[in-house]
Amino acid sequence: MRLGLTAACTGRYSLRLLLRYLVLIFASAACFAQTSQNPLAGDPGAIAGGGAAFRPYCTPCHGIRGEGGRGPDLTRGVYSAGEKDSDLFNVIANGVPGTDMAGFAGDFSEQDMWRVVAFVRSLARRDMSPLSGDRAAGEKLFWGKGGCSACHVVNGEGGALGPKLSRIGRERSLAFLRESVLTPNADVKPEYATITAVRRDGVKIVGIGSLDNFTVQITDAAGNYYSFERSDLASSTRELKSLMPDNYGRMLAAAEIDDLLAYLVSLRGAEATQ
Amino acid sequence: MKPVAAGLALILAAFAASTVTEQQLREAQSDSATWLTYGKNYLGWRYSELSEINTQTVSRLAPRWIHQTSVSGAHETTPLIFGGRMFLTGPSNNAYALDLLTGKEIWYYHKAPPAGLNLCCGEVNRGFAALGDKLFKVNIEATLVALDARSGTVLWERQMADHKKGYTATGAPLVVKNKIIAGMAGAEFGTRGFIDAYDASTGARVWRFNTIAAKGEPGGETWAGDSWQHGGGSTWVTGTYDPELNLIYWGTANPGPGMDGDVRAGDNLYTNSLVALDADTGKLKWYFQFTPHDTHDWDAVEDPVLIDMVVQGRKIKAVVQANRNGFFYALDRTNGQFLHASPYTKITWATGIDAKGRPIVVPGLDPSENGTKVCPGLGGGHHWYPTSYSPQTQLLYFNSTDGCQLFYRNKQDFHEGQWYQASTEAAIPSEPPTGTVLAMDPTNGRPRWHFEMVSPSDGGMLSTAGGLLFTGDGQGYFMALDAKTGKPLWHFQTGGEIRAPPVTYLLNGKQQIAIAAGTSIMTFALMP
Repeated sequence: MRLGLTAACTGRYSLRLLLRYLVLIFASAACFAQTSQNPLAGDPGAIAGGGAAFRPYCTPCHGIRGEGGRGPDLTRGVYSAGEKDSDLFNVIANGVPGTDMAGFAGDFSEQDMWRVVAFVRSLARRDMSPLSGDRAAGEKLFWGKGGCSACHVVNGEGGALGPKLSRIGRERSLAFLRESVLTPNADVKPEYATITAVRRDGVKIVGIGSLDNFTVQITDAAGNYYSFERSDLASSTRELKSLMPDNYGRMLAAAEIDDLLAYLVSLRGAEATQ
Repeated sequence: MKPVAAGLALILAAFAASTVTEQQLREAQSDSATWLTYGKNYLGWRYSELSEINTQTVSRLAPRWIHQTSVSGAHETTPLIFGGRMFLTGPSNNAYALDLLTGKEIWYYHKAPPAGLNLCCGEVNRGFAALGDKLFKVNIEATLVALDARSGTVLWERQMADHKKGYTATGAPLVVKNKIIAGMAGAEFGTRGFIDAYDASTGARVWRFNTIAAKGEPGGETWAGDSWQHGGGSTWVTGTYDPELNLIYWGTANPGPGMDGDVRAGDNLYTNSLVALDADTGKLKWYFQFTPHDTHDWDAVEDPVLIDMVVQGRKIKAVVQANRNGFFYALDRTNGQFLHASPYTKITWATGIDAKGRPIVVPGLDPSENGTKVCPGLGGGHHWYPTSYSPQTQLLYFNSTDGCQLFYRNKQDFHEGQWYQASTEAAIPSEPPTGTVLAMDPTNGRPRWHFEMVSPSDGGMLSTAGGLLFTGDGQGYFMALDAKTGKPLWHFQTGGEIRAPPVTYLLNGKQQIAIAAGTSIMTFALMP
């Protein structure tokens, strides 16, 4: 979508894969802001226009009000990309490598991206009230009683079955993290869906991996790797359901959940120290 | 025969095999050794009489050669096969002639696309057309180019429309008599769609059919105010042709702006329609609009396949289409009369189709500011991917994306050459779509079988007298299914996403199959 003010930044082409997920692939060079301050900052028209652009492209991850989801909460007014308008512009334009954040330079004009920056700024409630949990206690829970490290890596240590969490505090909103801990099946990325293969001898193998029309690859909880022709199996299925236990709400007290969340939110990767 | 005469006969035979005549195109179905036009025959069947590779032998199918194009981007081409060569196009104005025996490059064509090109969906190209010793293709900047099939030399190039205004071109042209029929793309940029015919020898434009009815023209009343001026209706997939009726059948795309219907009140003719045009004049014989006043980008450019069939006891010259809106349609191709329609995937936007073929629309499902969930999603249903009709099984084969999406809308002003869709769609993360290959009984719109896929496929179809259906998927699998039952019989991991249809032909008397996968073209034949 273009709002029709200027030509796109440096983007030449975008390939919109219209069938399946909103996946954007760009053949363009990186696009960077030419000024550190948003020339449209505070402009009501720009904010409205940015909101219009935000809704279809950004809400799947950041939520309809910017409250976050798979993507960070934008209402807190704290951005992992940096504090300057140009930092936000550059992330919108080019994405964040290694994360789900795609770049939109091929779809938005430069003016559009500044409008989105204006809209994102307008969302900020600057709610910096500290989290109620105890980070240190949460860390202890993560590596001990909670059993989280059996499946999740933080800073190079832990199991590999679940998503890496070393910078999860930058990538997910607090609300999303709480939901993920208490109801892990609420939003499961396909690569973490449960895959079950039943061999012809009745042995069942459960884990994560890849399922296509003819083969299946599974890594189970013990870290064993399997690859089968599906026709050699009694059955093979993928369910959009997490392997993560869904009983943390009963296993941990409410205060312990807050502690755990405080620890998760603090995990911001190497960039957090810059 | 005297040596001189014999030599002359050989030369003539070689010459004949190296060129394509109008008669050959009319009789393309009976020549299994070649693949001369986009849909194999004028009717768009993509069916081959070859049966060496069949349900019993397909297990011995193996790669023969692979040609790496080294050109990035999706390859959606239908290769043409004649004269011992394979002619295919790639994305970004690339094209190749390959030796059929080895895959070695004979010649290579490239023209750099203009900088700053605004386009919807990649610099793709879907193939050549051929007549005489010429090849014809569109270039992405909305030109039509003629190449010498022997050398790849450019013979002429004509601008179809101004790419700076958002016009592009991606579809394979269609040769009808001495004319090159070509469509355009760019409905997402407020263009006015058209179907053109050009003289094969000179490149001079012979006729143009505008797919958007202007004010004062028949159908112009279906556009509010001057909204027709940016009405879209592009024509980016190759149509079909009935030589007996001398009619060209061509599908048209979405109106502009795609998701804000308020600025273009009315049915918006002739968007999302099938138009039947006189091949000599381009005059409209009839039209059928599948999705009046579309707000979900459900183009009707899917293959219009021509089948003579019995419907409710009547023998009918029909045209059938698996439309992107989720319904499968059959029409009388002599007059456009509606025969029947039925859903082939989950549909929430309409409760059915009335007796005249008009959808019974569920109110309140237009795109909205906060997103409206609608099934199917923006891509359909079935999208442009080539279909196949087997006269052996009397089934039509196509793939479907089964799922829903959120449709968003906002107000947008028109600026020439700029994106003009007034918003877009988004996936629902908790509801990833699945895919299906369907075998449809075209006489009644009832699927005969489904082959369920883990995810939607963009691959095209090929059916053969060997009782096989060939297709590919997004994970790179090239596969053969039993055309009668849908049972998978063979598959091969190509290593690249398949977004193209397979073709089949003879090489030294042996059946071959070719398909583009990833950035390569590969061929297959039976191992001893």
